[in-house]
Amino acid sequence: MGILGAGPVTQAIHLPSLARLRDILEVRHIMDVDPAVAESVAARVGARFSTSVEELLADPAVEIVAICSPHQFHAVQVIAACRAGKKAVLCEKPFAMNGEEAAAIAAISAETGVPIVVGAMHTFDPGWLAAESAWGGLPDQVHTIRSSIVLPPNPRFEDFATEIVGRTPPPAAATAGANAAASGAAADAAEKAKLTGGVIGLAIHDLPLVRRFAPDFRAVEVLHAQTVLPFGYVISLRAGSVAIELRAAMNGTWEPSWTFEAIGDDASLSIDFTPSYVHAGSATARIRTAASTTVLGPFGHNGYEGEWRKLAELARGTGTAPHPETLIHDLEFALAIADAAAACVDAGAAYEEARA
Amino acid sequence: MTTPLLVQSGPDAEQAGAVGAVVASLPVSFAPAGSQPDVVALAGTAGWTASATEAVRAGARGVVVVDPVAEDPAALAAVAADAGTAVVLDQAWAGNPALAESAGAARNAIADALADAVLLDSVAWGAPGIDTEVLLTRHLAAVLACGVELTGLRVIQRNANGYTVIGSLPGGAPAALQGITTSSVPATATVSVLTSSGRADITLPDASAGWPAEVRSVTSAGAATFPTLYESAHRHSWRRLRTAVDSGVPAADLERFAALTALVGQLHDEPAPPH
Repeated sequence: MGILGAGPVTQAIHLPSLARLRDILEVRHIMDVDPAVAESVAARVGARFSTSVEELLADPAVEIVAICSPHQFHAVQVIAACRAGKKAVLCEKPFAMNGEEAAAIAAISAETGVPIVVGAMHTFDPGWLAAESAWGGLPDQVHTIRSSIVLPPNPRFEDFATEIVGRTPPPAAATAGANAAASGAAADAAEKAKLTGGVIGLAIHDLPLVRRFAPDFRAVEVLHAQTVLPFGYVISLRAGSVAIELRAAMNGTWEPSWTFEAIGDDASLSIDFTPSYVHAGSATARIRTAASTTVLGPFGHNGYEGEWRKLAELARGTGTAPHPETLIHDLEFALAIADAAAACVDAGAAYEEARA
Repeated sequence: MTTPLLVQSGPDAEQAGAVGAVVASLPVSFAPAGSQPDVVALAGTAGWTASATEAVRAGARGVVVVDPVAEDPAALAAVAADAGTAVVLDQAWAGNPALAESAGAARNAIADALADAVLLDSVAWGAPGIDTEVLLTRHLAAVLACGVELTGLRVIQRNANGYTVIGSLPGGAPAALQGITTSSVPATATVSVLTSSGRADITLPDASAGWPAEVRSVTSAGAATFPTLYESAHRHSWRRLRTAVDSGVPAADLERFAALTALVGQLHDEPAPPH
């Protein structure tokens, strides 16, 4: 294993996950642009460190590359890892910033035969996978989907998972009331940035699950989008005949709650996910009808560990990689929602002006 | 010794409000009537205010209206006040005893959460085929009964499978109400108030049995679940009626219902929301 980017996600999510999988995966190289962070994090796992992507990719000891760098570097680094002849690549979400980048990644994966996994951890959660095996014809009847995420700020869980080095303090402007102090175009721009960030940074975890039940994902239409203080969103959308409601609040609570629901006329699925970072087992899924409730899970590991297990299989040539088209469609879906949610800010301003 | 009030109920009210079973569970307070009822139970279908007014004019001492649809109750309220007749609305979720004035600790926890709310997220579940207007009226009644003030409500989407209504709380935090139809989940309503450091959750059950409501509060100090009451909204409504008849103090149901009707009316008047 080699990891590009050694920030809090690598430190608090991936290394603790990999520490549970030492029999199948070994971290051999850590790269970060901050040499002190790279050295410190590498030392934890007895790996080499560097500050150069090229150096890591040239390291023959690295067979699998994980890309955990800032979003804007994902596409170019995925492509470079494929060209370097690695056995498999994990890219944190989003794996590209636009459709063109996504298509380029799919093309290089096809050309080189290097399998790519996007870190959509809930799609690798054993609770989700068990539900997928058990839900039968549910997707054909689902008319409503809900994703609700209530979480404390990340550091609460990071600090239960590891001891972070090199943490960047949150920007002061991202606090409650900051929008209120701004006005006009500045406030609208801040609102748009928060909505886009909410979709690409948080909702994106569940959007591949949403898409599983929304076959007309290209027909997505955002009907309402609004931020929640201090960080979160209320987004109502429609994809064909399926109503989709996204809710999130990252407040100061100690009690996380992360649920996904898909509801049809006579059956429904409800999944309670465990919080990220801490290894608290898998999600618990419930498939309900009027006559029964089938409970699946919880199982002993979460989706992060699940995605690493998948990656190890792929590197050994024993697993089936996600279809690149699926990854592209997931990305297109997320980007379309993010763009349309941001556009709602302009539409809302015009609406309020008309009402006034 | 208490003299039972004699109850008359039509088939619609019986079906919607399980009147026979509820009256049987309050045998000291009520008994089935022969020809001259003290209390009349009515189904709250369209035209219920006129039917209730008739019952008041016919000399009923009390009227119970089961699951009323949105309708202006002003004329009925005036007639009932003149006659000294108690009118109680038996609402599926809003009538749950967990939200009663007497459930002070739970109400205080909800009020505390509302004062610090960052988001209200509420879902009402109904059976497939239900008129979503009826579901929305029940839903709004439940949210108001939790002590929530809503402004600027707009219907974002609505079809046979449900609806989404967006509004604001007094402090400006968003309020999202969603109705969903399915037979896979009982006809419950949930109201979740997320705060800066915790939440309050109210789950209001189907009134057809004595399933208890759940009221839970999370603050930085921990979580609290409030005492469980195994009484349906139907039975609680009938107990309220008996109290109102005995005390001569009218219930405030019609006054509250006028506010609900006004809110439902605003949703009809509101222009299409921006997309």
